[in-house]
Amino acid sequence: MKLNTDFMIKTFLAALKGIPVTLEITVVTLLLSAPIAFFMALKRLHKKGIGSRITAGYVSFVRGTPIVLQILFLYSLLPSLLNYLLNRVLELDFDVFGVPPILYAFAVFGLNTTAVLSEVFRSALLTVGHGQMEAAISVGLSRRQAYLRIIIPQAMVSALPNICNTTVNLLKSTSLAFMMTVKDIMAIAKVQAAYGYNYIEAYLVVLLIYILLCTLVQLLFKAVERYLSSYKKLVTC
Amino acid sequence: MLEVKDIHKSYSGNEILKGVSLKVEKGDIIVILGPSGSGKTTLLRCLNFLERAEKGSIDFDGIHTEFKSATGHQINEIRKRTGFVFQNYNLFANKTALQNVTEGLIVARKVPKKEAVDRAKQALDKVGLSDRYDYYPSQLSGGQQQRVGIARAIAVNPDVILFDEPTSALDPELVGEVLNVMKSLAEEGATMVVVTHEMGFAQDVASRVVFMDGGTIVEEGTPHEIFSRPRDPRTIQFLRRILREDYEYSI
Repeated sequence: MKLNTDFMIKTFLAALKGIPVTLEITVVTLLLSAPIAFFMALKRLHKKGIGSRITAGYVSFVRGTPIVLQILFLYSLLPSLLNYLLNRVLELDFDVFGVPPILYAFAVFGLNTTAVLSEVFRSALLTVGHGQMEAAISVGLSRRQAYLRIIIPQAMVSALPNICNTTVNLLKSTSLAFMMTVKDIMAIAKVQAAYGYNYIEAYLVVLLIYILLCTLVQLLFKAVERYLSSYKKLVTC
Repeated sequence: MLEVKDIHKSYSGNEILKGVSLKVEKGDIIVILGPSGSGKTTLLRCLNFLERAEKGSIDFDGIHTEFKSATGHQINEIRKRTGFVFQNYNLFANKTALQNVTEGLIVARKVPKKEAVDRAKQALDKVGLSDRYDYYPSQLSGGQQQRVGIARAIAVNPDVILFDEPTSALDPELVGEVLNVMKSLAEEGATMVVVTHEMGFAQDVASRVVFMDGGTIVEEGTPHEIFSRPRDPRTIQFLRRILREDYEYSI
């Protein structure tokens, strides 16, 4: 068997146009999820009230269901349900099916990433000893000030490897967005492949692009981590 | 200056403090001794509300309140006028020695930055760390970290400094440097309440020694009274055990 290199180059160039879409889903999802996840982590740490239990239930539910299933439910069932609810029951004139598919992608990946990140943040906050909080309070800082100035800066450093992990996982799972007709890298390559059944070539191209993207993300995180953890340096004399 | 009456505190039904009263005058160096589990540390932590006592009252330089009904404002006032030195130092790991000390001044007390830095440097000089301003805690030895902890506590000019076993986490050869700093603070007239197992420090520096056991104060008096003529059998037994352990080791 011989690989069709002309096709691969052509597909590569075409699929490159999907990179902005993939990155957009990744970045928007992270920006949406991170603040909510952080708030949820705080709720769970304080173990008070119903907020903590709802969060725990949500995290457990999202982690316990395949992402493909979530996509199928959210993209296939939810619009029909919404359509029925909005246009039949409430008698609004709202075009549910005209909603751009990328918004569904934000929703599905956002739901997932929020759950994962809330656990990442929770464990990171736990790595900063309670003693530093007490010390901050004892010198007169408020809890809020202590969190902002002492606890969170350290927690973020220890969270970075896991945030990197989450980001890479998210970036890879955005390849499922083609199921929601979003034209990302995967979708473009699949369309190209379908013309002449060059699936193997197309998948190789996709593989290459994802490896490149993920490597870049990891390098970026490594640089940020090195920069932020400068206080951890030890004397070597 | 500081007086607490009838402090009660329990954790999940287990009563740790069973009605402790303590009076601290300006310039006092009060050393609290006692076996582990006797409530020494809990008493100290109740004084600046790191733990909330269930019963009892506190009188702190004009602020009078029941522990239970203390308002956030009163608690803040008391915390701002006390310094606390922790057993495990609890330095802010993401801040340099200097920033550890300025934090309470700039953020909590709104001292202008320049003045705060000056005061912090003075405090660090006092504990012998004038060459370590810009070191992070991870770059300092245990003894140095604890001295930063002391500088952080004294920089805010507290009315009273609370020490919670400040040398217990240190290597034996580093204990001396911390005790010396505490001794010189005492000589300058600082008011201190110290929970410790350092008998030598209690004997040399304390103006009053308090012996606790089982959540109550068993006996208190001058170091001479406690060490030479202890009256309560529990004090006698504790001292005998501790002082003998200073000489004998059995493996």
